Amino acid sequence: MFGNVARSRLLPMSLPFRLLGAAVAFQVAAWALLLLHGRELGAFAIGLGPVFAALHLVTLGVLAMAAVGATLQLLPVATRQPVRAQWAAKLAWWLLVPGVALFAAGAAAYRPTAMAAGAATATLALGIYGVLLFANLRGARGMRVVVAHGWAALACLVLLTATGLALVARYEHGVALDHLAFRNAHLVLAAYGFMGLLAFGLSNFLLPMLAVAPPPPARSAYFVLGAAVAAIAAGVAGWQLPAALLGLVAAGLHIVSLERALAARLRAPLGVAFLMVRASWACLLASLALAALMALDLAPARAPVLFGLLLVPGWLLTFLLGVLQRIVPFLASVHALSGGRPLASSLTPQRLLAAHAVLHLGALALLVAGLHLPGAAIGLGAALAYAAFFVYVLVKARHHGIRPRHQPATA
Amino acid sequence: MAFDRAISRQLHEEHAATLALWGRVEQSLAAGALDAALMREAAAALAGEIERHFEFEESQLFPRLAAAGEGDIAELLAEEHRAIREAAARFLALAGTEPPPAELRPLAFELAERLVSHVQKEEMALLPALDDLLDEQADRELQLVYAS
Repeated sequence: MFGNVARSRLLPMSLPFRLLGAAVAFQVAAWALLLLHGRELGAFAIGLGPVFAALHLVTLGVLAMAAVGATLQLLPVATRQPVRAQWAAKLAWWLLVPGVALFAAGAAAYRPTAMAAGAATATLALGIYGVLLFANLRGARGMRVVVAHGWAALACLVLLTATGLALVARYEHGVALDHLAFRNAHLVLAAYGFMGLLAFGLSNFLLPMLAVAPPPPARSAYFVLGAAVAAIAAGVAGWQLPAALLGLVAAGLHIVSLERALAARLRAPLGVAFLMVRASWACLLASLALAALMALDLAPARAPVLFGLLLVPGWLLTFLLGVLQRIVPFLASVHALSGGRPLASSLTPQRLLAAHAVLHLGALALLVAGLHLPGAAIGLGAALAYAAFFVYVLVKARHHGIRPRHQPATA
Repeated sequence: MAFDRAISRQLHEEHAATLALWGRVEQSLAAGALDAALMREAAAALAGEIERHFEFEESQLFPRLAAAGEGDIAELLAEEHRAIREAAARFLALAGTEPPPAELRPLAFELAERLVSHVQKEEMALLPALDDLLDEQADRELQLVYAS
């Protein structure tokens, strides 16, 4: 499909880093927008506006952007398949960045036409990524657990894109549809489906690798996947209580099996990254427990906002930021020129990351407590600290020099 | 991780031993100790690994990886061997000293990080690739070369 097929699984540094860099920038934009309109967060329920825009700056601009960047580099390792066409991956970035910006600007300004153009551009980008993901998974060998999660995440990506476009068509053209049902399905497919299943799948090899620990047993990972897919299907169908309970089973077993694996690790200190990962797991469980209470009409009045906070910045964003703070220096060290080949630890500003963790977790606590403006202000501080970390790694790697691409010797 | 080829399994077992040993080194250093016996054990294992394991990979495996289109990864792994050799030379020169000098601590930390990171890359990139590249005949030949 893509013509000249790349053979190496090691991508040039610029490819994953342009996506990760865009995610870092969009995170700053999301918190800044939330700070400017923090008072509206408490009343946010449905419809366009700055809070909706900030939410999508996180989901599309940070989470999806970073997921594309991270999986383009990590999945080929797990599947033993190279990225089929690097130009297509670059094109996806060129479309996704303006698409997200236009979508968020249109949503913030209550301009459905601009939002629709952004959605179409972002959809095209995710479509290209979906084809790349499909090609990679289709030829996959090895790490079957990760591959199975990849297929399920890809199916969710297709469905979340379809529901997203349907929702945009409603705003722009007044297409008649059950808005609440489509919105809920879109939310479940995006957060628990595409992002959640990718996070679950990659955790099975990434977290043990970072901790130098054995991977969780494949049987429990498959059980988690089955329960998670059933929970997502129930959620999409609108059966909230079964979805939440099945989700709790899947999440609980996922966390227990990973904690058991981490307990057998060879590397003693897990560091700030794993503090973030564990905080994200707590938010995941809390989001599902709250969803169950909402289904039983036992939740407090502000439960929908609380649920969104636990789910998006609480679970997904915190998990991503925790994992990326280990992956970014690791990838940079792989691409940095020798001269003693820099250690990943020498590219990691530990104090800055510790300060970021305090700020990010503090922001979450304030938002959950209903202190939206202080929470957004501290969240913006955390996002700026994370941006500083990303720039620090890039500058240090550039100081060492970046490896040129391998040129095979000609016969 | 399960591997299909015997040579991959053998290298995997050696990697597991390296991870276990240098994990102990890292934990001991993190606890504030500089255990002379452990440093000598690590030095002996490191010298053997560089002489046998590294040489075999460089002469027999990396060229196959490069020929299969994974030249980037082969180059990266070979560069890491060079960096480990440089650090190992400094470590081996100090490891036999009794009591161990303070300069040994940062060197041991550096080697632990380099070796663990390197083993992980080989486990993720080299050994699975060997499973794909080698047939039974080539697998047997490589076992003979490694045993000789």
